[in-house]
Amino acid sequence: MEKRLITLIVNEQAYEIYVNPKTLLVEAIRDHVGLTGTKRGCETVSCGACTVLVNDMAVKSCSVLAVQCDGMKITTSEGLEVNGKLAPIQKAFLDNGSYQCGFCTSGMLMATSGLLKENKKPTKDQIKESIEGNICRCTGYNSIVRAVEAVARGEYKEGSV
Amino acid sequence: MTTTKKAQEATAKKGQEMTTFGLAKEKLTVLNTHVHNIDGVAKVTGRATYSFDTKLPGMLYGKILRSPHAHARIKNIDASKALALHGVKAVVTGKDTLGIKQGIWRRYQELCDEQILPVEKVRYIGEPVAAVAAATEEIAEAALDLIEVDYEVLPGVFEPMEAMKKDAPTIHEGVERNINVTRHIEWGDVESGFEEADYIREDNFFCGGQAHMCMETRAAVSSYTPEGKLTIYHSNQSAYYMQALMAGVLGIREGDIRVIAKYVGGGFGGKFELDGAIFCTAILTMKLFRPVKIVYTREEDFIATKRRTPMHYWVRTGIKKDGTFCAREARVVSNGGAYTGMGATALYLTGFFHSFPYVWPAYRYDGYRVYTNTLPSTSMRGFGAPQAMWCSEQQLEWMATDLGLDPIEMRRKNGHYAGYEVPGQAYIASCGLDEALTKTKEWIKAKGKLPANRAIGYSAAGFMSGGIFNWFDTPYSFSSAVVTINQDGTVILHIGATEIGQGSNTTMAIIAAETLGVKVEDITVHSGDTDHCPADLGAWGSRQTLMTGNATKRACEDAKRQILEFAYAKMGLNIVYDLDIKDRWVHIVARPERGMPWEELCKIATRGKDGQRIIGRGFYTPHRKGMISPAYSYMMQAVEVEIDKETGHIDLIDSLTAHDCGTPINHLGLIGQLEGAFSMAAGYGYLEYMPYEDGKLMNPNLVDYKMIRATEMPETPIAEIDTYEPEGPYGAKEAGEGLTNPTAAAIGNAIFHALGIQMKECPVRPHMIVQALKEKEEKDKAAKGAKKGK
Amino acid sequence: MIHDFTYLKPGSVKEALAMLADHVDECKIVCGGQSLLIPMRQGLLVTDYLIDIKGLNELSYIKYDAKEGLKMGATTTHRMIEKSDVIKKHYPVLVEMEDRLASTQTRNWGTIGGNLAHGDAAGDPAPVLTTLNAQVKIASAKGERLVPLEDFYTDIFETVMEHDEMIVEIQVPPMPAKSGVAYTKFNLLRNDMGVVGVAVSVVADASGACKDARVVLGNAGVTPIRAKSAEKVLVGKKLSDALFAQAGEAAAADADPVSDIHASEEYRRHLVKVLTKRMAKKAWEQASK
Repeated sequence: MEKRLITLIVNEQAYEIYVNPKTLLVEAIRDHVGLTGTKRGCETVSCGACTVLVNDMAVKSCSVLAVQCDGMKITTSEGLEVNGKLAPIQKAFLDNGSYQCGFCTSGMLMATSGLLKENKKPTKDQIKESIEGNICRCTGYNSIVRAVEAVARGEYKEGSV
Repeated sequence: MTTTKKAQEATAKKGQEMTTFGLAKEKLTVLNTHVHNIDGVAKVTGRATYSFDTKLPGMLYGKILRSPHAHARIKNIDASKALALHGVKAVVTGKDTLGIKQGIWRRYQELCDEQILPVEKVRYIGEPVAAVAAATEEIAEAALDLIEVDYEVLPGVFEPMEAMKKDAPTIHEGVERNINVTRHIEWGDVESGFEEADYIREDNFFCGGQAHMCMETRAAVSSYTPEGKLTIYHSNQSAYYMQALMAGVLGIREGDIRVIAKYVGGGFGGKFELDGAIFCTAILTMKLFRPVKIVYTREEDFIATKRRTPMHYWVRTGIKKDGTFCAREARVVSNGGAYTGMGATALYLTGFFHSFPYVWPAYRYDGYRVYTNTLPSTSMRGFGAPQAMWCSEQQLEWMATDLGLDPIEMRRKNGHYAGYEVPGQAYIASCGLDEALTKTKEWIKAKGKLPANRAIGYSAAGFMSGGIFNWFDTPYSFSSAVVTINQDGTVILHIGATEIGQGSNTTMAIIAAETLGVKVEDITVHSGDTDHCPADLGAWGSRQTLMTGNATKRACEDAKRQILEFAYAKMGLNIVYDLDIKDRWVHIVARPERGMPWEELCKIATRGKDGQRIIGRGFYTPHRKGMISPAYSYMMQAVEVEIDKETGHIDLIDSLTAHDCGTPINHLGLIGQLEGAFSMAAGYGYLEYMPYEDGKLMNPNLVDYKMIRATEMPETPIAEIDTYEPEGPYGAKEAGEGLTNPTAAAIGNAIFHALGIQMKECPVRPHMIVQALKEKEEKDKAAKGAKKGK
Repeated sequence: MIHDFTYLKPGSVKEALAMLADHVDECKIVCGGQSLLIPMRQGLLVTDYLIDIKGLNELSYIKYDAKEGLKMGATTTHRMIEKSDVIKKHYPVLVEMEDRLASTQTRNWGTIGGNLAHGDAAGDPAPVLTTLNAQVKIASAKGERLVPLEDFYTDIFETVMEHDEMIVEIQVPPMPAKSGVAYTKFNLLRNDMGVVGVAVSVVADASGACKDARVVLGNAGVTPIRAKSAEKVLVGKKLSDALFAQAGEAAAADADPVSDIHASEEYRRHLVKVLTKRMAKKAWEQASK
């Protein structure tokens, strides 16, 4: 088994890491790059807590090999804010109480961010479907849906405080 | 003066005490306003670090070897091959511990029956038998395969009814017929009560178990250092309980253990007992003097973390034909699994809340908790009450329907009210049941005629706001708080309450801000750290808003009294004038435009106290509050379901939640708790099947264990119920667990109204509906045939 | 824990096939990995060489023409299929099927080729594509061959592919005029794999009778099952509710389901009966338009 040198561009910063090819993307992000916002909640690709954006697409990073993402753009929950200014989806989550224990939150933020990148005005059903692969034990999901609806309605300006 | 009147006067007084002066329109300026959760930014930016994420320098990774047998004697454990594996630093077993049997019911030694690493015997599949610490997780896992355990397999018993039989295997020495705990609750004369009844029904039910399924699995990092201090990062609901329990099993002083639970990824009742992660990491680090981390996989979490108590229920109820309740008798046999844990409390509370929320002239409950060789059962949100309501609220609905009564009016007729005393058990000081019933009735009426295949079901319930009983045997106040005022007006609040996502940090900050007269953003809350925070029993039994809230309010009142002394001195007022603080403005109540800014007073007070900050202390322990709780919440849950008659598929279409929590404090937190409770309770009603075969869990993963998803959730509108609870801070009582109680029963009742079938087992799954419909069809056919024959 | 392997990343299909030929018995292909990584993490699937074809964009395409029908490259993601206008127009049942397949995240990364190669008896695409008469193009260093999807599976998780072969394309013929296809699955959660799944395609003739029918059951056996007795009930007749119900009964008898914690064999047969009846009716309503 030969380790491989790969580059992951995480939140607009390039990280060169030397990994065993069996390293999952979530392990590369959490252990090699050191960003622990992305979580793990299962071993069966069921819970979505590990969701990140790869080239702006929501994927479950527990089910992707890091080596497959060599040179790709990865966005995690730590990468949503810009110089301390929260992204609209983050502000909407705060306003709507769309998290409680917070463990699923990064995954929810990234799944919904992936949706909003594709579709700026999703319907309620589309919003629900975008987080269908994410489990939340605390909120019952409706507050998360309300947050995305608020962003879709244009209630938050990009980059404002 | 009756207490109802007292409560009414208190409510009126609430209005008089808080004056406004133009800036703040509300009489309460902070309570029930739209306050962001104060941990929110950390959580939405990925900064919040959980035990799951914690890394310490030189840290080793641990894994636990688990018993494949449900019942076996441990004859020998040979770890030599594992120890020879490069990278393995230590292997520990029960023999490396003091072998102390512990339990959370510390007051009763016979209920302290559990060694986390057993020495002689394993009693359930998945029980820890050894733990490894190694340089990497992968090496630790490989080491598990190299540990040789010599078991003498014993016959196991898995169902409580079987376990109580004379020839059943003995699970704990000296415990006859495996009966772990019994509970008896009684008032009135049940026999006479039944004699007065016009209609008596008797039914048997079964309520399944449920997994807590916290998004953060069990996780601990323990670090023991040469000066004899043990530091533990642990995902738990009570840092104090862990500290005290660990001191007990390790034979060291509580004060030499620091437990940190700053960010916790869910608890739901499963994380306030010792678990394999905290125990094994502590034993390993005390041997190696290096930090050790154990994180459970999701599979381990399913197999080896205690579950909701499965219960066999027998209920006999007698009512008059006008719907007046006469008598009820119930018996529960619960599947306790291998150890006691919090299961003893669940047995009591199910029997108590099975009487809620109604006035029963005569009531009798007998509960039996039985050991079996399965995963121990314990507390889970609702604490025995979801099971109680599944049975009670469905049976009452069937009885009302049989008698042609309006089921809501029947509930109203017999409902609790403020001033009622549950004989010998509880005093109800505030009760919003009546209003909840009315709001439900209005909602149903507004719905009008439903499409075919749809029906509405509802259920009432009531719940406690924390328990009064000191089974933990703590010498400390149940809740404590310390508030410190800095010279610049910022405030530090130290509480022992644990933030597990329910929003307690925010709730306490709101109470502190309201009491002191400042803003939430002025308050920094420290919680979940036994080195820095006062002891508190933690987040369970829906206790923190009332108990820690009271402690917080008292601490802030203490600080406010102290600091206002300096304002009185400075302002030289006539004795008839008094001062208050609102919105950072210290002012004369009668002349609010005259005063000084809060920040100015803080500076004055600090100088006045010789450079010392003002520190306020508060605490709360319920005294003379009956047998269960200082206060009770009430709720109604209505659910509209659609059922596919041919396949039995259940769809949740809409819902209504009417929850009486007294004065709401944390607005966003409250909505979150109610909506979240719905999702968990609905899961208990129709999704979260947890089958065991010979002690083995058949679906320990999230593919086969069904969790409700966003696409399955109906809307969850909430009807506000207005009451005031005198025992609670600003009139508040719980909103964390109560709403988990009625939802499964509401779904059951909806199925009953849709299809006329009575579902006695939860969770209800589609094939059960198909089967019940088939049986009903055959029964109806036979009845028709019998009629024709006449 | 995943066992160590040597990672190979071919830059072209030709290179991938050469690697397959070189390491024939000790290698496995990974693409989206949405199915493969789970057994690898459980230690149930061990391989010395892992050939990663995720980057082979030459196999990521959706082509349609009225004569040849639909051609999808093996590394086309589920999401591309879900969002494809051309598929929505000509084979809307495929878009409906994808909409209820796993989650958005899985569909973003997982591929149709990987799904079919994995051979999960409860998978959604295989029954639907079988009713559409799909064929799988398999390639090796030695050449290519076409296999009808209904002959592709030999057992659960097993296909007719040799160790040096891989799927390169899925072909779906144009749908005949006056045809209809419907698919559904039964599950507790909308996007779970089906407890059972039923796909039905029918073609009407000029007189309004059913000229052809294909009924394919998912998760009612170790591989997708063509319920031929159900098809016999439908073919040659003017269809009615009574015949849809009869087809359902016949399909239930053709099924060979297991009992597990989700459903008994009896209940699975019951579901096959109900769903076949419904999908036959739905497909027929489309065909009769």
